[in-house]
Amino acid sequence: MNKLTYFPGCSAHGTSEEFDHTLKLVMKTLDVQLEEIPDWNCCGATSAHVMTENLALALPMRNLVLAEKLDNKTMGIACASCYSRMKGTKKHLDENPELTKKINSTIIDEGEYHGTIDIKSMLQYCFEEIGLETIKSKVKKSLAGLKVACYYGCLLTRPKDVTEFDSPEYPMSMDLLMEALGAKAVEFDYKTECCGASFSISNTEVVEALSGKILEVAKESGAHLIVVACPLCQSNLDMRQPDIEKHTKTQIGLPVMYFTQLMALAFGFPEKELMLPKHIVPVEEALKNIGKIEPEPEKIKKTKKAVEAESEVE
Amino acid sequence: MITLGLQEKNTFLEAVNKKSGANVLECYQCGKCVSTCPVSGYMDFPPREVMQMVKLGLKEETYMANSMWFCLTCSACSGRCPRQIDIPAVMEGIRHLAIEENYHSNNKKVKEITRFHEIFLDMIRRYGRNYELRMMAEFNIRTRNLFKDMHLAPKALLKGKITLGHESTKSAKAIQKMYKLAEKLEKNK
Amino acid sequence: MARVGVFTCFCGANIADFIDVHQVVESAKKIKEVKVSVEYKYMCSDPGQQMIREAIIQHRLTSVVVAACSPRMHEKTFRKALLDAGLNPYMLEIANIREHSSWVHQKDKKAATEKAADLIRMAVAKSIANEQLHEISVPVTKRALVIGGGIAGIQAALDIADARIPVTLIERSSSIGGRMAQLDETFPTLDCSQCILTPKMVDVASHPYIELIPYSEVIELDGFVGNYKAKIRKKASYVNFSTCTGCGACTQKCPVKVPNEFNMGIDKRKAIYTPFPQAVPNKPVIDAEHCTMLTKGKCGICAKVCEKGSIDYKMVDEIIEREVGAVVVATGYDLWDPKPYEEYGVGRYKDIITSLEFERMVSASGPTNGVPVRPSDGKVPKNVVFIKCIGSRDEAKGIEYCSKICCMYTAKHAILLHHKVHDSHAYIFYMDIRAAGKGYEEFVKRAQVETAATYLRGRVSKIYKKGDKLMVRGEDAQIGQVVEVEADLVVLATAVVPYKENPALARLLGISYDKYGYMSEAHPKLRPVETAKAGIFLAGCTQAPKDIPDTVAQASACAAKVCGLFSGDTMKKDPMISTINNENCTGCQNCVKVCPYGAIVTEEIALGHGSKELRTVAKINEGVCQGCGSCVAICRSMSIHLAGFTDPQIINEIVSI
Repeated sequence: MNKLTYFPGCSAHGTSEEFDHTLKLVMKTLDVQLEEIPDWNCCGATSAHVMTENLALALPMRNLVLAEKLDNKTMGIACASCYSRMKGTKKHLDENPELTKKINSTIIDEGEYHGTIDIKSMLQYCFEEIGLETIKSKVKKSLAGLKVACYYGCLLTRPKDVTEFDSPEYPMSMDLLMEALGAKAVEFDYKTECCGASFSISNTEVVEALSGKILEVAKESGAHLIVVACPLCQSNLDMRQPDIEKHTKTQIGLPVMYFTQLMALAFGFPEKELMLPKHIVPVEEALKNIGKIEPEPEKIKKTKKAVEAESEVE
Repeated sequence: MITLGLQEKNTFLEAVNKKSGANVLECYQCGKCVSTCPVSGYMDFPPREVMQMVKLGLKEETYMANSMWFCLTCSACSGRCPRQIDIPAVMEGIRHLAIEENYHSNNKKVKEITRFHEIFLDMIRRYGRNYELRMMAEFNIRTRNLFKDMHLAPKALLKGKITLGHESTKSAKAIQKMYKLAEKLEKNK
Repeated sequence: MARVGVFTCFCGANIADFIDVHQVVESAKKIKEVKVSVEYKYMCSDPGQQMIREAIIQHRLTSVVVAACSPRMHEKTFRKALLDAGLNPYMLEIANIREHSSWVHQKDKKAATEKAADLIRMAVAKSIANEQLHEISVPVTKRALVIGGGIAGIQAALDIADARIPVTLIERSSSIGGRMAQLDETFPTLDCSQCILTPKMVDVASHPYIELIPYSEVIELDGFVGNYKAKIRKKASYVNFSTCTGCGACTQKCPVKVPNEFNMGIDKRKAIYTPFPQAVPNKPVIDAEHCTMLTKGKCGICAKVCEKGSIDYKMVDEIIEREVGAVVVATGYDLWDPKPYEEYGVGRYKDIITSLEFERMVSASGPTNGVPVRPSDGKVPKNVVFIKCIGSRDEAKGIEYCSKICCMYTAKHAILLHHKVHDSHAYIFYMDIRAAGKGYEEFVKRAQVETAATYLRGRVSKIYKKGDKLMVRGEDAQIGQVVEVEADLVVLATAVVPYKENPALARLLGISYDKYGYMSEAHPKLRPVETAKAGIFLAGCTQAPKDIPDTVAQASACAAKVCGLFSGDTMKKDPMISTINNENCTGCQNCVKVCPYGAIVTEEIALGHGSKELRTVAKINEGVCQGCGSCVAICRSMSIHLAGFTDPQIINEIVSI
């Protein structure tokens, strides 16, 4: 039984409850015991670092201090934004010991920061620590027939010197994870383009434009649904989708699921455990594709010249 | 028209470099950041132009622009910048300098964005964790747009996406202390 | 009694700004043996030299100390001044008060001045013990080795051979011609590349003074300038070149198909092949990695159809030796692999090609009959996007430098595209346009005006697929707008990188290379074709990216240097080398083991006068010895005398401080 320190983040019991819930189910199947940090606080998300310097470091630091007390080697974080703040803060603190002392002084009750915990996003943890082979072995119901567009968002693999995980331009970890579950991950050029993130409330038109483009490209790539690993991305792509459809006068109808929901489904959990009613864009239709096998696509017809060129001897 | 050569030293450039840890002088104006940035079309001056403005010492114009407030910190630009300049850090540096120098924009959208951040931070100060419903309500009130996103409310509440109540940490007091101490640190620089 | 003259140089401001020169001059006067101590602004100049010459005669000096810059700069000049005044040139000592004091202690004038005075005192003390030495003459082998058969190697070989000096030209592929053979037309004249190259290739093959050894590599180089010994591996071609007529029957019948490197992998060649139709020599070789006969023992068709019986599957590599006096390195360039540009989808999208692939496509004798085509479906593209600075000037991808030729060949590609596909349109994303050569700016204008190519200033940020087209996104900074071009084909002007085996070759030859693998020139401004190792020269892109005119010029410059080296029957050598004192030598042979140049061997000499018994002593080859002093350090019996750095000289220096 592996133990993993767990930081759920503010949305875990609200907007991303289905993420948190299915994550816990999946971890249990994979023999990982999640130890939630007691009395964690908001990491500060975007607002803290946009407006402040020291507070932006203090808020995540408090969580790191609390996490270190749990004595596990690694901390897994579900929300990509929280992951970016916490890991980025750790890196900055570890490179600036003087600053660390200063910021630590704002955290009075919880103790000293040692910088001993390793931080991974839950996607990273599944991919690096658990491994695709183990995940594949737990699949009871293959998702074959389902075509998914894996959307990573901007913070899971960037900035590269903080995350040290996968490619900042065209990552494949989620894609490979989906394929281990039997689904087909389509080629998707917008997999790391920002969805508009924290502008959801204060600058909604930007979110509609950015998320709209992501949905458009995902639809064109032939996916049945989009898979995400970040509550903010899910919210922007799902909750804002009806407004996007209305303002651009298009029909999208692309549901947005968390990768843990699909993992739970593949591991044999019943659909009701996935908390599908929470989704704004309904998921059920897309899931009906599981089990339908498509015929092989037509090979691209090459012109005679190209065929000649390939077999020509100079 | 801009006249140059009037300042003895480009203190703005030095300040931005110090705050961000980057060196704006390394920018060779290739423009890759502009076409990378998902929101460059909304900015008064896209990232490349902001770099040039800093190099020329145009502090007022830079502070007046909405550019740094629209930055999403998605790090797509810095990942592609051939000179490996940490552009989000430069944007953040300019933001923090503007705040320190008490610069307040007249731009409506910028005001809404900063208001949002202030409310968000207030929520955490009070509860230690975010209280989305209250945050959205306060935002609507403060930006005089009472019915914004109201059409989403029923579905969101029904589906439990947004909770009526709120969570807070047991030690919300520790967070409040943290805020006070952090503010003191800012002042004592 | 020693009579020393001390001449202190201001070196403009280099020394004078950080050292009190007057004080230094005065403190030198206090030394007993110093008969004259003067200063001058530029001691290396004519008046400075004259000052030294006159002082030697006037004061009957026995040795001279020049306190100035590093001996690497002007030691030769000052030695000549001594010689002109009738004094042995090796009675000179240089106190380096610039690199060793003024340049490194810029913040402490007092300490720097004291140090300078100390350095001069040491030099004076040393010079008193200097011996009168004379230059050594060594024989010189008048043959040159040229490594690489591209235009650089070809030009160097022809120029040296035209001076009636024999040249051995080796080339690793089976034909000479190099990259220039792959080009269609060359800028700025749009001359057909093959047409201007093949006459030179034929000249090489038929030149009485050139020994062309294709399909070979150098594997060892021993010796020193004028006296190198090279070991060359002639790779097994499995074809007897002397009987082969080049009829091509074997190539026609061979069943094995392999990606064709000459055509950048666009089409295939056979396992037995000549790289291109105009190959020199026009004889095929067998690619041992892919030939089924050589790998599995099956097939053998080529041997069956060869009328001359020239196929020999049993051939092995042959090692030959050549004695040469000079080496010219001309190993050329490769194109960088743009795979790190993940944002462009390189590797995922078939319709993104490199500039050399495009060049092969537009070549009349190329794999697509001179018309560019989309690799994905073979259709002729209408909108072609050219992206410059791929890898070049991109520190994030590890290459800081500019590759120099891409701006010009991209303009050329725009023109060629316009000629081949009349209704096409070229879009060129660029950061700058570097067109510094003769006729180059005019050529770029031609591309812009004649073809109406759209030049967009801004680096491309992303390429993604839309249907069967590629969308190329970048900023046009001139109008401050982000633009997306719907492209049929994307051509990447990828960075020029040196031949990938350069580092290994450099270590073999004993020369240096930089962090990118480019061979290092002796001095970037004044000695661009020499290396730090005498007798080894560089031509072409092996040293840095350059176009054909500069390559040819550099190759001819190498030839001039080689001819200069071979202009006498012997070569002069620096006499500061080691010699063995046979009386003291115990024959322990430690020096033999430690010498990095292999200059020391052993010899048997008589035990004593008239004795018949022999004993072993060490013997130093004066031609090979470089005077490094390793043997002196290890000799336990103090039997080695290193001219210029003898024990009395060194001890004098130490005692003087």
